[in-house]
Amino acid sequence: MTAEPDEALLRIVDLGKSYRSRERTVDALAGIDLTVRDGEFVTVVGPSGCGKTTLLKIVAGLLPASTGEVILAGRRVTEPPADLGVVFQEYGRSLFAWKTVRQNVELPLRHGRTGRTERRELVAEALDAVGLAQAADAYPWQLSGGMQQRVAIARAIAYRPKLLLMDEPFSAVDAQTRGDLEDLLATLWRRYAMTVLFVTHDIDEAVYLGQRVVVLGAAPTGVVAQFPIDLPAVRDQLDTRSSPRFGELRAQVYAQVRRTPEPTAPALREVNS
Amino acid sequence: MTGHRGAALLRGVSAVGLALGLPVVLFALWWLASADSTNIFLPPLRRIVEAFGQVWLSDVFVRDVLPSLRRLAIGYAAALVVGVGVGYVIGRWSLIRALTSPILAFFRVLPAPVMIPVLLVAVGIGDATKLIVIALGAVWPILLNTADGVRGVDDVQLETAAAYRLPSWTRHGLILRAATPQVFAGARQALGISLIVMVVSEMLMSTDGLGFTVIRFQRTFAIPQMWSGVLLLGVLGFGLAKIFELIERRALRWHQGATGREESW
Ligand SMILES: Nc1ncnc2c1ncn2[C@@H]1O[C@H](COP(=O)(O)OP(=O)(O)OP(=O)(O)O)[C@@H](O)[C@H]1O
Ligand SMILES: [Mg+2]
Repeated sequence: MTAEPDEALLRIVDLGKSYRSRERTVDALAGIDLTVRDGEFVTVVGPSGCGKTTLLKIVAGLLPASTGEVILAGRRVTEPPADLGVVFQEYGRSLFAWKTVRQNVELPLRHGRTGRTERRELVAEALDAVGLAQAADAYPWQLSGGMQQRVAIARAIAYRPKLLLMDEPFSAVDAQTRGDLEDLLATLWRRYAMTVLFVTHDIDEAVYLGQRVVVLGAAPTGVVAQFPIDLPAVRDQLDTRSSPRFGELRAQVYAQVRRTPEPTAPALREVNS
Repeated sequence: MTGHRGAALLRGVSAVGLALGLPVVLFALWWLASADSTNIFLPPLRRIVEAFGQVWLSDVFVRDVLPSLRRLAIGYAAALVVGVGVGYVIGRWSLIRALTSPILAFFRVLPAPVMIPVLLVAVGIGDATKLIVIALGAVWPILLNTADGVRGVDDVQLETAAAYRLPSWTRHGLILRAATPQVFAGARQALGISLIVMVVSEMLMSTDGLGFTVIRFQRTFAIPQMWSGVLLLGVLGFGLAKIFELIERRALRWHQGATGREESW
């Protein structure tokens, strides 16, 4: 086995993003450099408004970068790449209200190579995994926020993506369900050899799930620190979270996040011309 | 269980009662107030109802009502197809919207019947002119509402469709589906307009149809018969609106649920 030293699946190079409108320009990202290995689980933390969502959307090919570039599997990302799964922060709005839960989850599969029976199995399995088997025929608006979020997660995992982007995907569920979903995600990640880029503002969650935690600073945002997480590969809500090493790592990340200045005024530039 | 069903039945009855109550009361008032009328222009409602039976429940129905309904259906259907199609394009692409909005603003306020003389000259007195006028009158609310609805589709839904690389025809379908509440709102307005334009066009230039018949009765001083035509138009409009409502309610159940505007009865 002569593994390449650089097995990067995703390379983000000097990425910058400014939102321009007529009145003003918002510098959201500046000079982000980040490499994600194939099969790696990377979590991203940063203060609210620092540009986490912006970063994910650029990686997903949904937003053009202002400077720099994103390279996925050797190709420059200019549009949504194949085999990409996304769970949006606005999970509720990402569901189609006139489709049932099952139809929502199935939608991305209908246009791939998967046959009808396989598709049905994938959907049932994903809904079962997130605990929504009973709600398959309900409509999204009949579900609670946390359930809607799980539909969006089921849609992403049923799709079996190579790269999974998740934007605070567990923000609306209770602590118990959150723990279950974290473990589910970790299991699926191991089983299907996905690469995961996971945004959260929960430092514990970032340390618990990630093989590496990336800390973003205040806007205009760059990567201020990265922490390799040397916890055992298979983690456990009780054992891992109560282990001394978890506490140390958590404290390190927490200290780093606190050191980064508050994102008081996200660099607004008045445009004179 | 029976208690539930009983309650549901009661609700159904009271709903029908609510919907029909006021019309029935008004009808009764009209009946009583006009019973002894000697004014030949306001005949007793009893006479109008008699005339209704004689006039419309005969071959006049085939000769005059069916052609009207046919015109209405064709003109309205054409307006739907064109309005939804063009509205979609205008709502979806801002450049096209910018280019067309001045023209749209102009034609939108132009009353459709004003086109009748123009079309008479250009197209002639045939059925085509009537169909075009009906479609012209009905197309604007459909077009403008569709454009609004398409434009207002949630960005996150568009991003979802893009991220999962749904093929473009699927995406167009999703966008149109998301816009159906507005499309229906426009189509509902358009239904009323097409009925009006149908009658007006038949009054001005026709040898058959409801509008033509009403005018003919008026010219021959068949006043109860004329009134019965008005009654028929009213009933027709009401019936069409009800059918429309049924379809709309079925198609937009998800929307009523999603926006919490599910009607309680
Ligand atoms: N469409 C937009 N137009 C203009 N500015 C925007 C737009 N989207 C985001 N921004 C700005 O870019 C900055 C980063 O936003 P982003 O949503 O990426 O932050 P975030 O880290 O995801 O925040 P949160 O943790 O609250 O979700 C913010 O200052 C925001 O105001
Ligand atoms: Mg965000």
